[in-house]
Amino acid sequence: MSLFGEDYTRRALLEVVLVGALCGAIGVHVVLRRLSFFTMAMTHATFPGIVLASLLGVNLLLGTGVFGVLLVLTVAGLWTRRGTDQTSVVGVVLSGGFALGVVLLSAQSGFTKDLSAYLVGSILTVDGGDLLVTGIVAVAVLALVTVLGKELLLAAFDPAALVAMGYSATVLNVVLLLAVETTVVVAVPAVGTILSVALIVAPAATARLWCDRITPMMITATGLGILSGVVGLAVSQLVDVAAGAAIVLTACGVFAVSLVATRLRGRWTARRAAGRPADERPAVRVRGGAGG
Amino acid sequence: MLTRLLVEPFDLPFMQRALVEALLLGVVAGVVSVFVLLRRLAFVSDALTHTVFPGVVIGYLVAATDGVVWGALAFALLSAVLFTVLSSGRRVTEDATLAMLLTGFFSLGVVLVSRRSSYTADLTTFLFGRILFVDSREIVETAVIGAVVLAVLLLVGKELVLRAFDPGAAAALGYRVAVLDLVLNVAVALVVVAAVKAVGTVLVIALLTVPGATARLLSARLPVVMALSVAVACLSGWVGLAVSYEASVDHGVRLASGGTVVLAMVACYTLALPAGAVAARWGRRRVVPAPDPYPRRTGVDEVSG
Repeated sequence: MSLFGEDYTRRALLEVVLVGALCGAIGVHVVLRRLSFFTMAMTHATFPGIVLASLLGVNLLLGTGVFGVLLVLTVAGLWTRRGTDQTSVVGVVLSGGFALGVVLLSAQSGFTKDLSAYLVGSILTVDGGDLLVTGIVAVAVLALVTVLGKELLLAAFDPAALVAMGYSATVLNVVLLLAVETTVVVAVPAVGTILSVALIVAPAATARLWCDRITPMMITATGLGILSGVVGLAVSQLVDVAAGAAIVLTACGVFAVSLVATRLRGRWTARRAAGRPADERPAVRVRGGAGG
Repeated sequence: MLTRLLVEPFDLPFMQRALVEALLLGVVAGVVSVFVLLRRLAFVSDALTHTVFPGVVIGYLVAATDGVVWGALAFALLSAVLFTVLSSGRRVTEDATLAMLLTGFFSLGVVLVSRRSSYTADLTTFLFGRILFVDSREIVETAVIGAVVLAVLLLVGKELVLRAFDPGAAAALGYRVAVLDLVLNVAVALVVVAAVKAVGTVLVIALLTVPGATARLLSARLPVVMALSVAVACLSGWVGLAVSYEASVDHGVRLASGGTVVLAMVACYTLALPAGAVAARWGRRRVVPAPDPYPRRTGVDEVSG
């Protein structure tokens, strides 16, 4: 354990464990609801919140959080409009928000250093306060996805049934979007925009390859989130590359290996099934190479 | 007053070059962004702007500034092919795959660039570009790539529209849907390559998404949407550059030129929202929703509680 002997590496380790668990858990819903682009947009569009908070001298998380809530409400409001499609709304919010941050930033000078930290994170500089906030948010989000798990799953699976059962789809959507936004707001200052997206999407998508049920998927995703964080951090300490990038590459590597493994497995099952009579074969044929 | 604001700044040679670059990109991206809208490729565009980053770094390491375009081109084509291939997977939806390619490729670039000392400055340039420092060679590169993209879209535009609205019919008519998808992804990739070095990732994403979305709010007819989209892209480029110049020179507030162009575009979108609603109430406007490029599958239909 001499790898994590220093104080700052131990804090970084704790932070990646917390962020990994948080991102893995919320990531399951991001992947099932196809909110990856929304997540990406939130990481970029909350940027003006950071700039404004530092201009006004208020707490960074508070500034970003409030700005993020505004963005979520904008996105949710535009989604309900007829004739606008979700992807283009997210694209507009992403570019508009980020550009606003850039313009605000350029109006004052000497901010560039923080900017690249914002992009790729500076996990080795997290302090006790960051850890505390991440911990609280992790507990809150985990509690939320546990309590509302059934409803969120129904919303992903059969939105019409959800409405028929008397739930408000809009309220549930906004709750989920706010949970994603809170995760992003907490994760970005510590680990950067790109790493937040990777930690949210990659472990959950990997879990989706292996699991068909939501509880195992949630546990696998959380575990993989933590694992990618710890392994990536260790690698970055050993070979001296950017920590955030090493974690992302680990998480994506795990996905790539799982993808190949599950496709090989799918092909093998298909070949075995091919020997049987037609009615025993899987209903959906596994296409060689591309499918599975 | 308006002449002073909108024409005078462009007496300066560097502002002229910036304007030419912005207008060239406006025409090409305006057209491409309509297809991006129809096929909902906003996330693909966003991903491509990030996946070219390792190409930019490798190109720079191998052959300095000359290598940047070729490196970016190689990685853009590679990722366009990867997107097309991987989007045929079923268990994990296209957007999750895209997010991983995006973050993975970008991190590869960060790892490569983090070995260099001036790494922060490189990242910043990549993000925000430097449209005011565009030289005539880059303008020629943009013009050539743009001409290729427009020529391709002119050739297969009808097929791409058919594929966007009715993939089944396109396949039944004997078109290879996967090939059409690849053609469009490569076209988007080429726009990214043409633009990213000069104007930065942020402006490229905006150019590829906002003009089409704005135009779509105002009309449901494809030729009109395309014309409006080009108009919005070019107008925003012009006004954005002029405003950023005016603010920086006459009022002492430095506004990043790329960012100001994007904000001008978003302002057009914001204005088009109520305008589109009014037009919808007035006219007999048919609302044609854009088709879903992904199969109607949330990835949960095999998951049970």
